[in-house]
Amino acid sequence: MIPLTRRDFALGLGAGIAAARFGTARAATTPRRGGTLIATWGGLEPQALFVPAGGGSSPLLTSSKMLERLARMNFDFTFSPALATSWSISPDHTEYTLELRPNVTWHDGQPFGAEDVVFSVAEYWSPISSGEAWKQLDGVEAKGPLTVHIRFKRPVPEFYFFSALTSQGGAVLPKHVYAGRDIITNPANNQVIGTGPWKFDKWVRGSHIELVRNEHYWNPTLPYLDRLIFRYLRSPAERAAAMEAGEIQLGVFNTLSPPDTKRLAATGKFDVTTKGYENAQWASTIEMNTRNPIFAKREVRQALLYAIDKKFIAETIFYGFAKPAVGPIGSSNTMFFSPDMPHYPFDPKKAAAMLDAAGYPRKANGKRFSANLLAAGWFEVNGNIGSYVKQCLNDIGIDVNLTVPDRPTSIKRIYTDYDYDIALSNWANPAEPVPSTTQYYTTSGIIKGAAFRNATGFSDKAMDALVDKLTFEVDPAKRKLLARDFARLVMTEVPISPLVEIESVTVANKRVHNHSDSPDYMADSWGDLWLEA
Amino acid sequence: MPERPVLRLLRRRLLQLIPLLIGVVVVNFCLIHAAPGSFLDVMTSDNQVTDPALIARLRTTYGLDDPLWLQLLKYIAAVAHLDLGFSYRQNMPVFDAILAHLPATLILMLSGLGLAVLVGVTAGIIAAVKIDTIWDSIVSVLAVVFFATPSFWLGIMLTVLFAVKLRWLPVGDMTTLGADGGTLAQLLDVLRHLVLPALSLGLFYAAIYARVMRSSMLEVFRLDFVRTARAKGLSAARVTLAHVVRNALLPVVTMLGLQMGTVLAGSVVIETVFAWPGIGTLLFDAVSTRDYPMVLGIMVLGSLMVVAANLAIDLCYLWLDPRIEVG
Repeated sequence: MIPLTRRDFALGLGAGIAAARFGTARAATTPRRGGTLIATWGGLEPQALFVPAGGGSSPLLTSSKMLERLARMNFDFTFSPALATSWSISPDHTEYTLELRPNVTWHDGQPFGAEDVVFSVAEYWSPISSGEAWKQLDGVEAKGPLTVHIRFKRPVPEFYFFSALTSQGGAVLPKHVYAGRDIITNPANNQVIGTGPWKFDKWVRGSHIELVRNEHYWNPTLPYLDRLIFRYLRSPAERAAAMEAGEIQLGVFNTLSPPDTKRLAATGKFDVTTKGYENAQWASTIEMNTRNPIFAKREVRQALLYAIDKKFIAETIFYGFAKPAVGPIGSSNTMFFSPDMPHYPFDPKKAAAMLDAAGYPRKANGKRFSANLLAAGWFEVNGNIGSYVKQCLNDIGIDVNLTVPDRPTSIKRIYTDYDYDIALSNWANPAEPVPSTTQYYTTSGIIKGAAFRNATGFSDKAMDALVDKLTFEVDPAKRKLLARDFARLVMTEVPISPLVEIESVTVANKRVHNHSDSPDYMADSWGDLWLEA
Repeated sequence: MPERPVLRLLRRRLLQLIPLLIGVVVVNFCLIHAAPGSFLDVMTSDNQVTDPALIARLRTTYGLDDPLWLQLLKYIAAVAHLDLGFSYRQNMPVFDAILAHLPATLILMLSGLGLAVLVGVTAGIIAAVKIDTIWDSIVSVLAVVFFATPSFWLGIMLTVLFAVKLRWLPVGDMTTLGADGGTLAQLLDVLRHLVLPALSLGLFYAAIYARVMRSSMLEVFRLDFVRTARAKGLSAARVTLAHVVRNALLPVVTMLGLQMGTVLAGSVVIETVFAWPGIGTLLFDAVSTRDYPMVLGIMVLGSLMVVAANLAIDLCYLWLDPRIEVG
């Protein structure tokens, strides 16, 4: 059963949402076979059905229904078999052996086997989709038709390894389709052939993508539905109307605006849940460009955090669908989260005093210095946060020039040109902090032009050494302590730090069963979904 | 032997099209490239491409290493060969993507305009014939209301009423997803989906045409030939429909021609509101992802559509009033 959180009460949804939560987990009767489910999400149509190098949430949502991973992450951050049925690990954690599921076929009828996994590791995961995670790869080979042996140069922690297997970049590709052709530009990326419960049927650009049930799926009871359709609507208002009219049954990842989410929850006709995003904790972040001598000073960065009321952002700008962040490892990450962090409660007087002490007193015109504030325009709400932060910084004597560029311009200015002093951005961090979270802080994470990495220019030997230890420590207890130390160092240095954790929400018609049943639900295969008559 | 007016008109318009298209390409090319951020930024971030060598290779592949003037010249040369480039976003040639979306836009535009002309002209005739009556007042008030109402807002309100509350019509899209059926069923399905977008697009223009038609009718009613027609003993209905309406239509036809560009722009908004899978949806996506070839391709197509529409309007003039000189 899903416990109600403090936020739910803050939302004032009361009994409605409680019923909705219970509804999500309600004991379903016998699953009904057949039917078509129409789903949507809170973003745009994908650029391709499958983007090998990642491509964001939209292609992940579609491709993960067709392409499968070797294992599946559970809510308690343990792992269940998927295309791999069992595994063994050498005592020194440098060798992993995987036994694969027999009698699995690709959508085109070809048999699935060890060679596909070897190809995926060597040609796809390591060089393209998750290179940082596979940096220590020493070799991979098939030890039999259904046995794969992977060797690493240095010890690889078990959780790290399986997080990589279940990550967004961990899809197993068919060797017979991709071998010998460029994976990134392969036409098969728009005609996906996988082993998953869903097969690609058609894509009407600008409208929807249709998937049909895989009759030869290795789990003969799945999928329950005949057809799964992803419909793309641009505005949250349209999505709300379509859900209310019954034209869309399932909306994942903030399909609706917060007021509409509350309204639909109150009707009692929808399940509204924040479950299913535990392995993708979104946050609004603030990053400060340490190439600017002012923001190179740690005291200035800390002062700015004291000047911003994170609670206001959570409760007013996000309508309660967020909460003040504690550190770079989100609170839903029960594996590594630690609440014991340096924190910066709203205290403008302290912020002003720290700026005075840092050598930036108010001048005759009342200003200390000027700063370019960039609010990344890929989420509309970032502009709202920008307006608020501008006001906060004005109040402590910082003259702020706020811009809210669109997505391409934001990406270029933050990650290529480093053309900002302060940026309001976002991240979505999985449970395993290496490398997704750590690369925002390490020196090796500074790659000009590479988005969603270290754009602040922050470089610190202590940080690099700590991340190195965290990467190779195989003892889970010690690793947890190292992750805590990493988070503490981040919250001390604060070149980039989260302001609020954003709660991602799924809204489902009550006829929909078995949704939100994994910690990265958007990337789950959705084979067990079914619709009540 | 003198050239026939229609052929002369066609020749002149085709000759005018060449500098017009070059102008459209040059202006839009410069405007798009003046915006910061390129499609390569979006592409590399979307695909999380971080390898500098791969980024350099992509720059070369897409011709971004060339100076801007050379890129422009290459593009103009390609357009001359009907090659509108390749859309990385749609992963297909621009021409193919536009062709795939064009029918939906044409259906919406023609339906919206057809509705506008039908409703607007009819309302204008009624208001003029029943001048200073309650009918005239109703037409005037409704015309003001629909003229003042933003199309996107009207679309949302119509959706709330007819799709969400009454559930008579679908919320958006062009077809019912997942529905099967024969050709007739599919046609009826598209028509059901077309009602709200066409109303949202057409009512604004209907309001304009109603006002224009009413004024034009009242002016024509005062002309001598109308008095002559009445003196000949023709019925009031015949005078109105056969003589007055035909002459009063000229300003409406003029407006139709002038508004083709704005109707296309309006359909972009309506397509976005109703998730209508046409050129508007394509353009919106292309602009937001800096898909330069697609944006330019749609601009070129839009210019062609406006030119073609104006040519059709000129031909209408010839039909409505043969006295009009072409040239």
